[in-house]
Amino acid sequence: MPSVVACRHLTKTYGDIVAVNDVSLDIEQGEIFGLVGPNGAGKTTLVEMIEGLRTPDRGAIRVLGLDPAEQRAEIKQRIGVLLQATSIQPDISVKESLELFRRFYRHRVPTRSLLKLLTLEEHANSRFKKLSGGLQQRTAIALALVSNPAVLFLDEPTTGLDPQARRNTWDLLERIRQRGKTILLTTHYMEEAEKLCDRVGIIDYGKIIALDTPRGLVNSLGAETKIVFSAEGVDAQALQSISAVTRVVSGQDGLALYTSDQNNTLQELVRAADAHGFVITNLRTESANLDDVFLTLTGREIRE
Amino acid sequence: MNAAALWQLAWVELKLNARSPELIFWVIAFPVLWMGLFGAIFNEEVEYFNVSLNQANFLLPGAIGVVICASAFIGMSSTLATYRETGVLKRLRVTPLTIPTLALAFTLSQALFITAGILMLFLVGKLAFDVKVLGSWPVLIAVCAFGMATFLALGAAIGSVAKSARAATIITLMIFMPMIFLSELWMPISLFPSWLQPICQALPLTPLVTLLRDTVFGVAMGDYWRFGLLAGWLVVGSVITVRFFRWQ
Repeated sequence: MPSVVACRHLTKTYGDIVAVNDVSLDIEQGEIFGLVGPNGAGKTTLVEMIEGLRTPDRGAIRVLGLDPAEQRAEIKQRIGVLLQATSIQPDISVKESLELFRRFYRHRVPTRSLLKLLTLEEHANSRFKKLSGGLQQRTAIALALVSNPAVLFLDEPTTGLDPQARRNTWDLLERIRQRGKTILLTTHYMEEAEKLCDRVGIIDYGKIIALDTPRGLVNSLGAETKIVFSAEGVDAQALQSISAVTRVVSGQDGLALYTSDQNNTLQELVRAADAHGFVITNLRTESANLDDVFLTLTGREIRE
Repeated sequence: MNAAALWQLAWVELKLNARSPELIFWVIAFPVLWMGLFGAIFNEEVEYFNVSLNQANFLLPGAIGVVICASAFIGMSSTLATYRETGVLKRLRVTPLTIPTLALAFTLSQALFITAGILMLFLVGKLAFDVKVLGSWPVLIAVCAFGMATFLALGAAIGSVAKSARAATIITLMIFMPMIFLSELWMPISLFPSWLQPICQALPLTPLVTLLRDTVFGVAMGDYWRFGLLAGWLVVGSVITVRFFRWQ
């Protein structure tokens, strides 16, 4: 099956600034693909080129096999879009907005089922401007779904939302994905990418600098997991022989085992505790995450 | 052109107009109050080219002009500028809605709102002052439609040129207020200083109100150049809109 979105050597320049620099990308049927990077990295420019809002200086794009330059009208019929920093008419009600937007499309999802999917039923008659940020964003996502699109483009769907609303949005996107939709989302929250995305492309200064599953990206660091615990009367040297342990460090908060295979090491650690008669307390593990990946690749924190 | 989308958008925009206290005041309430107030205070016959009608009847064409002006300058221009500034236009742009459908829907919604304002004038005028139209109704309707097209084009032009919604409001006030004063609505232009008179004559509201008044009083329209003047403003508004319209 051909990719839902395919980009080849996309480049876009504004004056001296190369916003998107030779990006090639494939997004496959049914996946949630995350484009992750700091503000100004080129995420929005890239997504808006794919949506047909901006014309690339160089490179080729295919969306559902169609060319945005030639078949823009057909692409618009078949994609759902959540833009950043846009709005709908402030005095329109949620229900009115859905009724309006669905008229623009050939395929129309019944308004009632959308209200249900997004749990917006009790706000159906509320004016858009009166809604909380989370509800406004949910309405905007509902509007992206009115045509039952094959692919969804969500530009920073949770930026500016409080943690609770963010979690609700994650659950919602999970439900939407289960309906077989392909989703391209951008975010500068690594946690969000880790939680939601099947694959993640890390973008910085207009270039994709890494692309893999979240797990694959973390593993690519060769990152070790740290197992920290306290125990009385334990022989640190003996722990060194546990499989996959690379280092044992005795610190303030107890002993730290660095391991390349967390599961095996934990099992053997418990067996060792039984065999040598020591008690493990305050056990926790610390693993590398996408923030560490970004830090390692760029030498910077993602939010600075 | 998607007819269902056109009607739905026009209908929604009409409802949104009706939810705006500002627009309800300027397009529906103010013209009626203006005609009613001055019609009641100066309750005497007005003679216009040897035809006499009461004061409210004399003010009716100007009130229609105010309805059209307010809807175009306060409704159309600020809606357009606000929608651009807040990203509503950009959001619509990623839907299959086309520019002609969008333009027509916005125009249609204002045209329906103007129609409501004019019907209100006739309703109150008829009940309170027994206003009459001595000329031809089809001509009156045609002049109203021509005036709507011209002013909506000018409103769209301001909405397109203005950098922000605030700027659109300021430009609108700078044009709307003096024009109501200078355009033959209640004070004959001949009372103004002679240097100001040509400017008054050239303003788009003057030919519209004059043509409407000629029709209401049933006197011959001698000055067909007024149609040309309106058409000229229609072209100016349309060209500026097409040239300067931006989605974001």
